[in-house]
Order: sequence, then C-alpha cells, then structure tokens
Amino acid sequence: MNIVTRKLVSKELYVNRWFIAGGAFSGVVSVCVAALGKAGFSVGSLMWITAIIALGVMLALYGVMNERKERSMLFVLSLPLSIADYVRAKMLGLALCFFIPWLVASVAAIVLVLAKGDVPDGLVPYTVLLSVYMLANFLVLLCWTLHVNSEAWISAAIVLTNMGVSIYMFVVGAQPGLQDHLYGPTPVWNQTAWTILIVELGVIVLAFTLPFLLAARRRDFI
Amino acid sequence: MTQTKHIEMRGVRKTYPFFTLDDLSLDLEPGQIMGFVGANGAGKSTTIRLAMGLIAPDAGDIRVLGHAIPEAQGAAKRDIGFVSSEMRLLPHTTIGWHMQFISSIYPEWDAPYAEALVKRFNLRPAQGSGGLSQGEQIKALLMLTLARRPRLLILDEPTNGLDPVARHEVMTEFMDVLRDDNRSILFSSHNTVDVERISDRITFIDRGRVVDCNDKEDFLERWRRIHLQLPPGVTLPHLPGIVSRVVDGQFSTLTTNSYSDGLLALLGNTVRDVQRMSLEEIFVANVFHHREARGQ
Repeated sequence: MNIVTRKLVSKELYVNRWFIAGGAFSGVVSVCVAALGKAGFSVGSLMWITAIIALGVMLALYGVMNERKERSMLFVLSLPLSIADYVRAKMLGLALCFFIPWLVASVAAIVLVLAKGDVPDGLVPYTVLLSVYMLANFLVLLCWTLHVNSEAWISAAIVLTNMGVSIYMFVVGAQPGLQDHLYGPTPVWNQTAWTILIVELGVIVLAFTLPFLLAARRRDFI
Repeated sequence: MTQTKHIEMRGVRKTYPFFTLDDLSLDLEPGQIMGFVGANGAGKSTTIRLAMGLIAPDAGDIRVLGHAIPEAQGAAKRDIGFVSSEMRLLPHTTIGWHMQFISSIYPEWDAPYAEALVKRFNLRPAQGSGGLSQGEQIKALLMLTLARRPRLLILDEPTNGLDPVARHEVMTEFMDVLRDDNRSILFSSHNTVDVERISDRITFIDRGRVVDCNDKEDFLERWRRIHLQLPPGVTLPHLPGIVSRVVDGQFSTLTTNSYSDGLLALLGNTVRDVQRMSLEEIFVANVFHHREARGQ
C-alpha cells in the first residue's frame, strides 16, 4: 500500500469520525437498552440492528455517493494515485470506518448475551452470525456503490440490503440446526452454524475483492 | 537535448452518446502557457479529464510529463496541479486540515508560500470546507495546488463563478506563477479576457474538434477586420485568407486570418479602416468559419 493510499484511508477515518463515534455509541446504547428486561431486549435489539444498518447506509451515501455528487472526488483524484489506488483506499477506508463501530456493537451484544442471566447463551451463535451478516451486507452495498454511478441503483441497493436483514433473520432463525438451540443454556456451534458462517465469510471476501476486479478497472471513473 | 513535452496528445478520440471528441492533437511545451478556449460543451473538460487519466480515450495516445496516460497517471499526477471550477474540498474538514493533508503527501510543499497565499486570498485555516463560497473554494484549491509547486498546472475554468475581485486576485497570482520558466500551464476557459491576459499559446476547440492553435501574438497579428468602400459597379475579387465578408451596399467588411501589407496593397484605396480584433472576436469568427467549412 503506497503512502497516498494510506493517507486516504486515514482521511476516511477522519472525515467519517462522527459516523464512527455515533455508530459505536448507538451500538453500546442499544445493548444497554436491551439489558433492561424483556421489553427492553426487544427494543434494544431493534435499535442495535437499526444503528448498524444506518451506519452502513450513511457511509455508503456520504463516503461514496456524496463525494461523487459534491465533486470532492475530483480533488481526491487529482492526487498522485491511480483509479485502482482510489478504489483500494475507498474500500479499505470505509470498511474500516464500518468495522470499528460494528466490532464495538457486536462485542457488546455478545457480552450482553453471555453476561445477562435471563438471556440464554444459546443465542451467541445467532448473534455472531447476524453480526457477520451485517458486515457482509455493508460490504455488498459498498461494492455496489463503488461500481455503479446511478443514484437510483444505489438507492435500490440500499432498500434491498435493508430488506435482506429481515429476510435473513427470518430464514436463518428458522433453520432447525439453529432454532433448536437458540434458547439453550450453552452456545452450540454445529454444522448449520458453521456453514452459514462460512457462506457469510465467502460473501465478505467476494464483496471485498470485486471492486478491485471491476471498479478499479473501469476506463471512465467520472 | 529535446525536453519532454509536458502534454502530448495524438489522434485522441472519445465518444459519448451525444458528443464526440475527435482526432484531438495537442502539444504543451515546458514553460508554455496554453489557453484552451471553447464554448460550453466544446470538449474542454473532456480533454482535461483525458489528460488527467480520469477517463480513457477510445483511440489515440496521451503522454503527460513523459508518462503514458491513463496507465501511469499516478506517477504523472505527482507533478501536476489540477484545479477545476467543479472541484470541491473534502467535507467535514477545514482549510488547515487540507494544508496538513497535502503537505504530508507532497514533500515539495512550500509552507511559507502556502501561508503567503492564505493571507493574499484572505483565507482562514480554521474555516470549515462546508461554509466556503465558490470563490473561497477555488482560492483554497489554488493555494493547495500552487504551494506544492507542480511542474504542470492544469486549470479547468478556474475563474468560473468568481466575482471580479476574486478573479483579479486569482489572475494576479497566476501572473506571479508564470515567472517560473519551467512550469507550464493548460488553462481552459470560455472567458477570452482571462486567457488573453496570461497565455502565450492558444488552442480553440469547438464541437469536439480543435479548430485552430497558434501563438497568441500570431493570432492577434494575423486577424483583422477591414472596412471597405467599393465604387459603384465594382465587385471584390476572390481574395485569399478572407474568412467572412459582409456586404452592405457599397460598404463591405472583411474578416481575415492572413492580414499582411500585401493584402492591404491588393485592396488599394478601397480600404476605409483596419481594426485589430480582440481574442473573443477572433475566437467567434474562427469558430463560425470552421463550422461553415465543415457544413455544420
């Protein structure tokens, strides 16, 4: 990674500092709310999911789409870097901007499940899988946003990835290998859980790699 | 030894659904200041984006500072300062943050010169980028570009949207920059007054084609408007280098791109007045002449 790419990654962290702080803060607050009894758990869980989705949407909108729209991308592209360097810096920078609060929120959620007596530890695999799914969801959105120029296509991707979370929760939560152990006293990492995790990690790798193969090779970047 | 051209474009073509930049060839020598003049939509920004590697040509070769573009744009851009009227600073930051950011990328950053420019342009480092006017944005971008002392400046309509005072400040700064003989500038604008003030070579572009390219002085010397009064019954013979002829009774106005004493001698005592033309008049006459020649 050259110096300009490193500087641009740092720039993403600086420019999006309030999103990072806000995302981490909202994640922790949601978990605190979730610790407040049965109703609190439902409200807090919704807040937690919303906070992570909103963070991803804001980063994609402000980090890529607005930079393009507000023409500050021209300033960045005037620096001594290639289109591939730009895509690399954008992908790494924004992934890091998401990863930090995502990690804080995910760890907080897992700690809550393990530490709170009335929340069954059997929820740990589901919480981990959902967290990893949220990361994959963001990277797919970011990959798509970097690839297309149209605002309409980006909006469509935001709607679809949002809907994807609900569908994921419903479908994955209903898998017998997971559902059977959700309310159990100990976390069960069976083949179903591992398979879902591996698929999610595969999507992450793919979403992270595709921009280097597609967006970075675009002949016309603006 | 021949110095490497700062910009070299050969037979460049770029096609969009409703616009084609066709067979563009352009040379910018070291130390040269080229005014790149064209109407809105003529292809100035497309040409500049091609030179910067932001878009790739469909055909032709581009070399900037000796580097093949777009392939080696990263290396070329180390010595290019690019400012466009469409460019904006990064959001949620200050001018001071940008100064720090640029100085950390370019070792050539001249901090005292940057400070001097900040004062001259009346900028405040603590000022947030979001609250800057169009003029302040351009001045801040120019400060960030000039203070790293690039060998090649590519300026895409930098005075667009500036009030007269800001424009004067910016143009005065350009005049100072021009004292460096090794630095070259490609200055695109549809404001011919600005171009005439700083350029030593001028390229006119219209509807995706270069229509003329020459030294500024040569343009100003070659182009004239000649007013004639012809005796009744006398018609003008075919004359070389006449790009337009307007006849009103016995009075005729000729526009020529090949003014010489020889032409004047040919016209004899029918000449009533010879007027020098401004760059804007030359540009407009040139464009219409070429459109007519191409049957557009």
